[in-house]
Amino acid sequence: MSLARHPLAQSQKSQRLDHQRHDFRFLQIAGVGLFLALPFIFASLGLTSAPYILDLLSMIGLYALLALSLNVILGMAGLFHMGHAAFFAVGAYVTANLNLTYGWSIMATLPVAAVASGFMALLVAFPVIHLRGDYLLIVTIGIVEIVKIALTNDIFGWTGGPNGLIGVSRPVIFGYRVVKPHDFFYLIWLMVGISTLLFHWLENSRFGRALKYIKEDTVAAEGMGVNTTAYKLMAFVIGAAWAGMAGTIFASKMRAISPESFTFGESVIMFTIVILGGSGHQKGVILGAFLVMGLPELFRQFQDTRLLVYGAALVAMMIFRPQGLWPPKPRLYRLPAPYDQKYPGEEKLKDGDRSC
Amino acid sequence: MAHFVEQIIFGLTVGSVYALIALGYTMVYGVMKLINFAHGELFALGAFVGYIFLVTLNWGGLLGPALAIGCVAIIVCVATALAGHALERVAYRPLRHSDRLAAVVSALGASIFLQNVIMVVWGAQYRAFNASLLPTIVWRVAGQSVPLIRVFVFLTAVVTMAGLYLFINRTRFGLAIRAAAIDQGAAKLMGVDVRKVIAVVFLIGPALGGLAGLLVGIYYGQINFNMGQMYGLKAFTAAVIGGIGNIGGAMIGGLLLGLLETLGDAYISGAWKDALAFVALILILVFRPTGILPERVAEKL
Amino acid sequence: MGKFFFQVTFLAMAVLVASAISMTSPSITSSWAASTIKVGVMGPTTGSWASEGQDMVKVIEILADQINAKGGLRGDKVEVVVGDDGGTPKSATLAAQRLLTLGVVAVVGTYGSSVTEATQDIYDEAGVPQIATGSTSIRLSEKGLKKFFRTCPRDDEQGRVLAGKVKELGFSRPAIVHDNTSYAKGLADEARAIFKSQGISEVYYDAINPGDRDFAVALSKIQAQNPDIIVFTGYYPEAAMILRQKREKGWNVPVIGGDATNNRTLVEIAGRAAAAGYYFVSPPSLGDMKTPEAVEFLKVYQAKHNSLPSSVWAVLAGDAFQVIAEAIGNVGADSTKIATYLHNDLKDFKGLSGSISFDEKGDRIGEVYRLYQVDEQGDFSLRE
Repeated sequence: MSLARHPLAQSQKSQRLDHQRHDFRFLQIAGVGLFLALPFIFASLGLTSAPYILDLLSMIGLYALLALSLNVILGMAGLFHMGHAAFFAVGAYVTANLNLTYGWSIMATLPVAAVASGFMALLVAFPVIHLRGDYLLIVTIGIVEIVKIALTNDIFGWTGGPNGLIGVSRPVIFGYRVVKPHDFFYLIWLMVGISTLLFHWLENSRFGRALKYIKEDTVAAEGMGVNTTAYKLMAFVIGAAWAGMAGTIFASKMRAISPESFTFGESVIMFTIVILGGSGHQKGVILGAFLVMGLPELFRQFQDTRLLVYGAALVAMMIFRPQGLWPPKPRLYRLPAPYDQKYPGEEKLKDGDRSC
Repeated sequence: MAHFVEQIIFGLTVGSVYALIALGYTMVYGVMKLINFAHGELFALGAFVGYIFLVTLNWGGLLGPALAIGCVAIIVCVATALAGHALERVAYRPLRHSDRLAAVVSALGASIFLQNVIMVVWGAQYRAFNASLLPTIVWRVAGQSVPLIRVFVFLTAVVTMAGLYLFINRTRFGLAIRAAAIDQGAAKLMGVDVRKVIAVVFLIGPALGGLAGLLVGIYYGQINFNMGQMYGLKAFTAAVIGGIGNIGGAMIGGLLLGLLETLGDAYISGAWKDALAFVALILILVFRPTGILPERVAEKL
Repeated sequence: MGKFFFQVTFLAMAVLVASAISMTSPSITSSWAASTIKVGVMGPTTGSWASEGQDMVKVIEILADQINAKGGLRGDKVEVVVGDDGGTPKSATLAAQRLLTLGVVAVVGTYGSSVTEATQDIYDEAGVPQIATGSTSIRLSEKGLKKFFRTCPRDDEQGRVLAGKVKELGFSRPAIVHDNTSYAKGLADEARAIFKSQGISEVYYDAINPGDRDFAVALSKIQAQNPDIIVFTGYYPEAAMILRQKREKGWNVPVIGGDATNNRTLVEIAGRAAAAGYYFVSPPSLGDMKTPEAVEFLKVYQAKHNSLPSSVWAVLAGDAFQVIAEAIGNVGADSTKIATYLHNDLKDFKGLSGSISFDEKGDRIGEVYRLYQVDEQGDFSLRE
């Protein structure tokens, strides 16, 4: 994939690319700015539909967050994981329990939810991480089913059975109570933004490169001395922890959680977002969230047939772009043509430390 | 102990239906390495096609139960086979050379589509099959009640599976299917028409699924548009337990899953029985990472 | 490549937002219909409970047509706006927000309790009255929400009647089976508590899985405990399977169920022979709605859809719509006034399912439950 091109051709082309990149970056910043200004634009237009659209955008953001976390496991490490709702559920229920029983504030439960979900992922993934492809897929489906059944049966008396838990508080950040649709819009998209930056950094770190290696060729990675099991587990734990935090936000946004929000079907939605958007590419994943969550809303006018149209649209989009709508670009590795010239990021490569 | 024998009979009937559906998953997977998530919906479609003839057109009353069931079984198999073929043409063939996960998402989309087609055409409510199509005869064997209809379901499934097993292992075309499952490229070089193999696999698999749908309709007497979801997931689990890609494995996996469920229900808890089945799945895979009878395919590196 | 796709993405997002705005903005949608009163119907028209939601909409559309044919309410036409909640809480919150942005003055719905629960705060904050139609969970009306009502009874009421009838019929060894849904478990627990207070202890208590079809094992386990009646609190498809497989086993134990089994399909699935003798408690079923309004309505429904509504819940949705229309007719299309009217002034409104009044919690007043038994012909006959 990442064959280095001829150094000369590369440098000419890369100059042109650099130029284009600047325009592109400006467009991106403008786009993000416009997006964040939406609540104000709506307010100034006096739009009555603002709460609906902002709620929809918050829901899209929440699923973008979930899909970004799944992307670490599925897109970056290439592990077929179709049970992400299980970790989402753990986060939501941990938050609800700490908040309802012990009166913790929502933001204080955020790290606990992350740790609990991560720990749970470690526990369940450890024995099965060596399974290949589709066998891992069915095991993760099994996990999400088991979790749902456990929630429904009120395991340890923690989950409230089929009724779920009700009356979760709203988050309070520096004394500001997050209640209105636009509050959640900013909270969720802020988290999406931070996650995107962190995962971007993760992707380009030693850890991210190791995951990429494992995805492309596990056996070769193993041969090169990459501890594949440890890296795969790490990917699982990180992804699950993030899903747990999304669970915290979900619990405090919905205020009531019940097992039907954490089904296999939800896992399928997250999986679809990642693959449809462009597995391994964060912008693609966010685009995927817009389409997968947004299209059923757009199709509301079709009433009973809206999911029929939606299913057909999924098939059509996959056929139209099998690699996802916005797949990652193959990474270009520049050849260090003149020996003394340094390129950013190269120091790290020479660094021998094994920590990730 | 007497109780135990009864549970085994229940488990085998439930399991034989799973096995029939699992065969569709495993055949498609064996040849194409594709998890056909829409297979459960083809199963439901089979039940609804059966509904048209047995209930809406009342063939049971016109032809008598035995002849009606025989004719309708053939019609159902043909109809679901054609639907499966169309599905392959539209949703999977364009993705044959793409990333495997793209085909998975396409399959999921197709599943949503088909499920909602059934809902729009036949409505969302539960539909009832003629309750009196087959007489309620219950045999007493050594103090155990053995309902005739359970024996009928079990035997139909076993005979169908035996037929398929012979077809795969004793005929030339079966050989071609097995060859394509091991290595499509090499099979092509040996003169196997792989496209034809895939087409046939996509006829047989859905036909078996449709037949299972008809059996469920006749036996349990009620069908609804999202019945394929639960059965599809269970059957897929069964296929993996047996070793996905392996025909014999699907049969063993289906029966084993049926037994696990009923025994878990009988001796542990009804509310937890599905969880127990999945725990068993995970344990089996932990110790036998490719199922009980693994596919005989070298891992593609 | 990247730039192109960024543009496409941006365009996609823009189209999404723009169409969401245009679809929901009253200034555009109502410009051609300036004087309509919008009443929302939130129901599951897709998903597992789609049949209930679709029937809700059918019933309400007929009622709305009838009102409009008579000249509407205070000279304005009524417009029914449907929001599909898909039977899940997440989808329901969006449906609720969308209905609000379309400017509904009151909302009918919805079916599932946990789904209703997810939307209660949203409607309450917007000040729009909500009348639930199938959500029987007790806690929904215990939150002190001033604009929440329901035309369906509560689980505790039903549990009380169910347990009372079991005792009246002279049974003392009930086996309680639920299906682990919020509704069925709530009812089962309620009935269990009342049995206990009456000194009756159940011989069996466990769940089956909704959507399953094979309950032979569960029946064997229950039979081993030798109950004199099975109390099943779940829904009709599973109840029908239990009746059918019980007969297959050749076991003659009576079964009693709750109002979620009040559905004609039960008899079709189970077969007449197996269904005969089955008891259930329910608000009056369709055939027993002898008021002229109900008889006439069912005639119209039959003519339009060539079938009857398959369950009583859709009819309760119709009643919810009618009381809203009644309130609007009296006090105008104002959300707050509608809620006040429903609380204080609506007394013994003649609905399809009987007379309707609400208490201060928004619950329906009055004994609505009846005991039914399936007779040899497969009809639901009222027992007194």
